[in-house]
Amino acid sequence: MRRVWGQLGLRARIMSLYAAGGLLLSLIIALSTLTLARQNLLEDREDRAFPVAIRNAARVEGALSGETEIEDVQTIFDLLNVTQRSVPVVRLGSESTSGSPQVFNEELIPPSLRAQVDAGNAARMRARINSTHMILTGIPIPDVDADYYEAALTDDVEDALDALGIIVLGVAAATTLLSAALGSWASRRALTPLADVRIAAESLAAGELDTRLDPPADADLASLTASFNGMARSLEDRIERDARFASEVSHELRSPLMTLSASVEVLQNGRDQMPDRSQTALDLLTADIQRFNLLVEDLLEISRYDVGTASLQAEPIDLVEFVRQSIRQLPHENVAVDVGDLEHLVIVGDKRRLALAITNLVDNAAKYGTGLTTVTLSEQDGDALLAVEDEGVGVPGAERTVIFDRFSRGSAGGRRGQGTGSGLGLALVAEHLGLHGGTILVEDRKDGKSGARFVARVPIGEIPEFEGELG
Amino acid sequence: MGTRILTVEDDERIRTSVRLALEDEGWTVEEAESGEDALNAFTREPADVVLIDIMLPGIDGFDVCRSIRQASDVPIVMVTARADTHDVVAGLEAGADDYLTKPFAPKELSARIRALLRRARSVDPGSPQMVFGDLEIIPEEGVVRVAGEEAHLTKTEFRLLVELASNPGRVLSREVLLERVWGYGYFGDGRLVDVHVRRLRTKIEPDAANPRHVVTVRGLGYKLQS
Repeated sequence: MRRVWGQLGLRARIMSLYAAGGLLLSLIIALSTLTLARQNLLEDREDRAFPVAIRNAARVEGALSGETEIEDVQTIFDLLNVTQRSVPVVRLGSESTSGSPQVFNEELIPPSLRAQVDAGNAARMRARINSTHMILTGIPIPDVDADYYEAALTDDVEDALDALGIIVLGVAAATTLLSAALGSWASRRALTPLADVRIAAESLAAGELDTRLDPPADADLASLTASFNGMARSLEDRIERDARFASEVSHELRSPLMTLSASVEVLQNGRDQMPDRSQTALDLLTADIQRFNLLVEDLLEISRYDVGTASLQAEPIDLVEFVRQSIRQLPHENVAVDVGDLEHLVIVGDKRRLALAITNLVDNAAKYGTGLTTVTLSEQDGDALLAVEDEGVGVPGAERTVIFDRFSRGSAGGRRGQGTGSGLGLALVAEHLGLHGGTILVEDRKDGKSGARFVARVPIGEIPEFEGELG
Repeated sequence: MGTRILTVEDDERIRTSVRLALEDEGWTVEEAESGEDALNAFTREPADVVLIDIMLPGIDGFDVCRSIRQASDVPIVMVTARADTHDVVAGLEAGADDYLTKPFAPKELSARIRALLRRARSVDPGSPQMVFGDLEIIPEEGVVRVAGEEAHLTKTEFRLLVELASNPGRVLSREVLLERVWGYGYFGDGRLVDVHVRRLRTKIEPDAANPRHVVTVRGLGYKLQS
């Protein structure tokens, strides 16, 4: 039970407590109302029935004489003050008669009452005979060896009490439901600020670092809001500091890299005069300076996204020509471009970034997919779609999102992330496309052959009337 | 004595390594370590090409560029930190003809310099005089007159104007102009064209804000008309 309770949400628990409280309270009120009403109504009826019975007994006593036969008693009944709701019974000697024998007669008299009356005492009691509630009064008339009994029927009172009971229980049920609803409302109201906190936390987690909570109207919540905003602020500061650090470090690396690039070029100019061993060492140095250069470029590029200074230098671009040109400038020979029957496909984009994205994807495919790389450009649902397919081993399902993380390391497929050799290639592709409102994903080849298919999607959007940036 | 290049760079190691690499390419290199130094050197003996790092202590690269540009139409190459910053546009507006981002390969710089010098010299002799209303272009003499008065264009501005004038009334895209004037391929920076067109307009248009001769054709490029 405790376990189940613990598993319930806060709202469910508050609601249950309200419902239970409402039920308990309304039951107490219902039961006490019913008991009190019954007590009052029946006592009142008894108090009225008893004197009537005594008077009727006196009349019977007056009418009876030694010669009265039991048959005559019926005429005496006519003298009595009896209503439809009361039944007189007279025992005379060993015989008895009843005003309404089906309802009440001598045989139905409870023994306890009988005993009292036989002992010479007037007595009364409540009884239920043949499922009819009644108040029985017994009065002995010892002078003529007779007893007078009178049954005052109280089933009208019982009916009224039953009806009352149904009403009261109905009200109790309604109260319980109302309490539950109240509990639900109250808990929701109490938890509304928490929902705001949840939304804010989700937005923070999604990278909206400037998310803050509005100051609450409720003073009780001010400290929560203040702590949350404090946390968000320090998180934002820290992430920005890290991002700036990466940006500054990369920037500082440019000067030594400039010296290295120029110096290694001077050495390359004199490469022929060097011994073999030095030539090999120089080639290693040259290649790694080139790699170092790319790494710094990519780091700077990606840190602009982190610092938030990446901005689109947008201009209309005819992708049909653009994709052909982007691929033409690459050293790979096994690349086939298929633009279908598209003559022009104009989008608004940043040439430099799109070119980087395309060359990264093609480089990546050429590097990891042995054989022909196919580049397909098409238009679909208002998007420009660029698919780059290779004939490599493909990318396993589990690595299809990881592959776009920075410095992702995985199996052969996962290592594709090092497209430019910096480990940032595909992460940058995703960032560049994202800045255009586009996406990148990797899937299996459509034709079922082994290999990966990278699909870049960029919305075509509206092409504004273009005027040269500064023209 | 070959073509002289003045390199302005405050980092000694970069200065030295770039000088060595450029000398290997056959250029004569003169070094300056500050803006003041560069201006003095240029005044003493003007170089054929100037290479200026924008980030200089004291007089910054933009000022050096403006000062040299006031005195000379020598080709100027700017070295900037990033291609996608406003520095590029500011450098071009200060009078630079082209730019490179650090770190660059000295061979690439040599290619740029050769392109700048080639186009500065390569206007066909014997080309006829061209007239567009009050605009008069004499390619052979490298002279442009506006309403009879000579306009002082840099060599790049002049080459850009001649390129447009050789195709009167036809629209030339930024890509085409980049290739023909700067020797860039498809991925050249269109801002080079935009800023040079703007500079050209301030020199040959009566009202540069409402150009009559060098007009922008939306989405396509630029054209020259009378």
